[in-house]
Amino acid sequence: MTPETFFTNEVIDLDLLPKYEDIQLSRPHPDYWKIICINLLIFFGLLGIAIGILLFFVDEVRPNAKWIIPLYLALLAIFFLLFRASFKKRGYAIRIHDVIYKSGIIAESTTIVPLNRIQHIELNEGIFSRIYKLGSLQLFTAGGQTGHIHISGIAIDDAKRIRDLLLKKLDLLENPTTELNASE
Amino acid sequence: MPVNNDFSKPQRESAFGIIVMGAHTMLKIGKASFFLFIIAFVKMSSTSFTYLILSISAIIVFSFIFAYLWYLKFTFFLDKEKQEFVVNKGIFNRDQVIIQLDKIQQVNINQNILQKIIGVYGLKIDTAGAHGEEVSIKAIDETSAYNLKEHLLNSRTATEVQSEIEQENDGTAETPFLRISAWTLFKVGLTSNYGQSLALLAAFFYTVIYEGRQLLDAFKINKDEIQSTVTGMLTIVTVFILIACLLIVLLIINLVRTFYKYFELEISEHKNTLLLSSGLIAKKNTLISPNKVQITKYSQNYFQKKMNMLNMSLKQAHFGQSKKGHEIQGNTLEIPGCNPTERDELLKMILGEAPLKGKTFIPDWRFLNLPIFFKLILPVATFLIIAFNVPEVKPYIGVSIAYLIIGILMIYISYRRHQISVSQDFIIKTSGIWDISNEIVKPNKIQAITTFQYPWHKGVDVGHLTLHTAAGQIHFKYGNYTEIKQLVNYWLYQVERKNENWM
Repeated sequence: MTPETFFTNEVIDLDLLPKYEDIQLSRPHPDYWKIICINLLIFFGLLGIAIGILLFFVDEVRPNAKWIIPLYLALLAIFFLLFRASFKKRGYAIRIHDVIYKSGIIAESTTIVPLNRIQHIELNEGIFSRIYKLGSLQLFTAGGQTGHIHISGIAIDDAKRIRDLLLKKLDLLENPTTELNASE
Repeated sequence: MPVNNDFSKPQRESAFGIIVMGAHTMLKIGKASFFLFIIAFVKMSSTSFTYLILSISAIIVFSFIFAYLWYLKFTFFLDKEKQEFVVNKGIFNRDQVIIQLDKIQQVNINQNILQKIIGVYGLKIDTAGAHGEEVSIKAIDETSAYNLKEHLLNSRTATEVQSEIEQENDGTAETPFLRISAWTLFKVGLTSNYGQSLALLAAFFYTVIYEGRQLLDAFKINKDEIQSTVTGMLTIVTVFILIACLLIVLLIINLVRTFYKYFELEISEHKNTLLLSSGLIAKKNTLISPNKVQITKYSQNYFQKKMNMLNMSLKQAHFGQSKKGHEIQGNTLEIPGCNPTERDELLKMILGEAPLKGKTFIPDWRFLNLPIFFKLILPVATFLIIAFNVPEVKPYIGVSIAYLIIGILMIYISYRRHQISVSQDFIIKTSGIWDISNEIVKPNKIQAITTFQYPWHKGVDVGHLTLHTAAGQIHFKYGNYTEIKQLVNYWLYQVERKNENWM
């Protein structure tokens, strides 16, 4: 049995397997963009106040105003553009056996977590998220910091539904099978 | 085995633990304030000498009071019903650590010099808890230690198996199937782990220089004088001698470290677990179950290939950032200097069968672009620009050319070595420049998969793949994206089809 035939056995399967890349992804809720904007504005507002105080009260800084202010504005614009781009790229899908999450600013990365590898689930609601009735779901695996999925900007009702659905599946997965596998 | 020793009732560690813990605390404080003491010693006038003595004795007294309180509050027991190991500790605040038995990664029994003198053992439990908290019992007698270990690791198998294991344990003469001889260790010390020894050496020199400076300040010695004598001594010849000395020191450190850590390394097979024991001064026993190993890795460099030996490491799960660097290291078991047959035997034991290389995937030539640009062209270009403007640097242009050539060669080698091979039961990733390593993962150990692609690679169908496991990540870069997507679908199918345990 050469390695080649060993593998091609499975290749027939490969094309018939469900393709993660063809799944239609759900986009984050449009209101989530508003939250991103609010967060950015708060950040830049605070930064602006700090810069303003510096410019106003410290004489040594004042001559530098001519490049500090344009830099500040440029940063503001760049951040908004980057976040807009990343917002547009985000998407998630829940399949029967796994969760798919796509994100990225320049590069597009897709992370897939099989449901039977999820360690625990977290549902977070921020202050602003609450105003717009949004929430974010976090799925943790044993793969450490990088192997976890953080889906932001889901309508809170949806998020709760997804959470319950996933929890139910986790329970189903765990109870009848763990003992079986342990004895293997 | 004594019946009362089933750990079902809360119990304290051995009373000798006070001594061990006290010494441990003292050592910790001593280490932290070592240079402080030296400085104080130098700077202080003789009248305040008594203060120094007083403070030292205060530290000793404090350490032992602390140790005594620690001993009083530290209890542990095994909750058979809930399958949990519970530890209560904390002097002022009450901490309870509960470890589910099936989350235990490994149990270490070791003995440092003090523990050896007193005749007790230390026992450490490595968990896979989300916060990576681990339990360490400082003093426990030998029979209890091994007893507890068996209890912790074999909890899930029925109790009738337990007695069998204990019997086996009594007959300590087990035949190890792998034993590393001193001669092999010598060869290992000469050929591997340069990087770690170098880091150790660098860290040592850094502390010496840093603390030395503080000492000089304390002694009020003129720094310039030393600097001028040092630079006066630096001729070409002395530099070469110095480098040669450093290399020899490096080799010696390497040898000593290897011997210290791996002396009399033995691996034997218990029921379902592997028992590793090694160590020159402090003997360390580690018991691991093969199915908890997440990544099995073996590596070999040119010299080792000629000597027909290789290094293996077994990586177990570690979690999150809360564990410090050295603790993560502790979760990797290194087996240096085994020969190919021993490797195959070990692999068979851990993976169930000897891994077969399946279809091999190699990266696209674009793999070369980024490293060549950022590691070679950019620095060399900056250097040349500087060199043509600063006459003092000009004679060193030859060095930059050598750097360029060696760099291209190394990057090219790393490109040629970078491959991933996939068969039905194994994923084998090969990589490396000098040390060629093979990392073997079973598909059921995959926790999550990430694929990503830069927009400018869309046209040429090139992308990257990351497999997340509980013991780290496996990257495959610049592969054919269509193939990668196909592989991902295949692995997802393998992971999701049946609910196989990964631990």
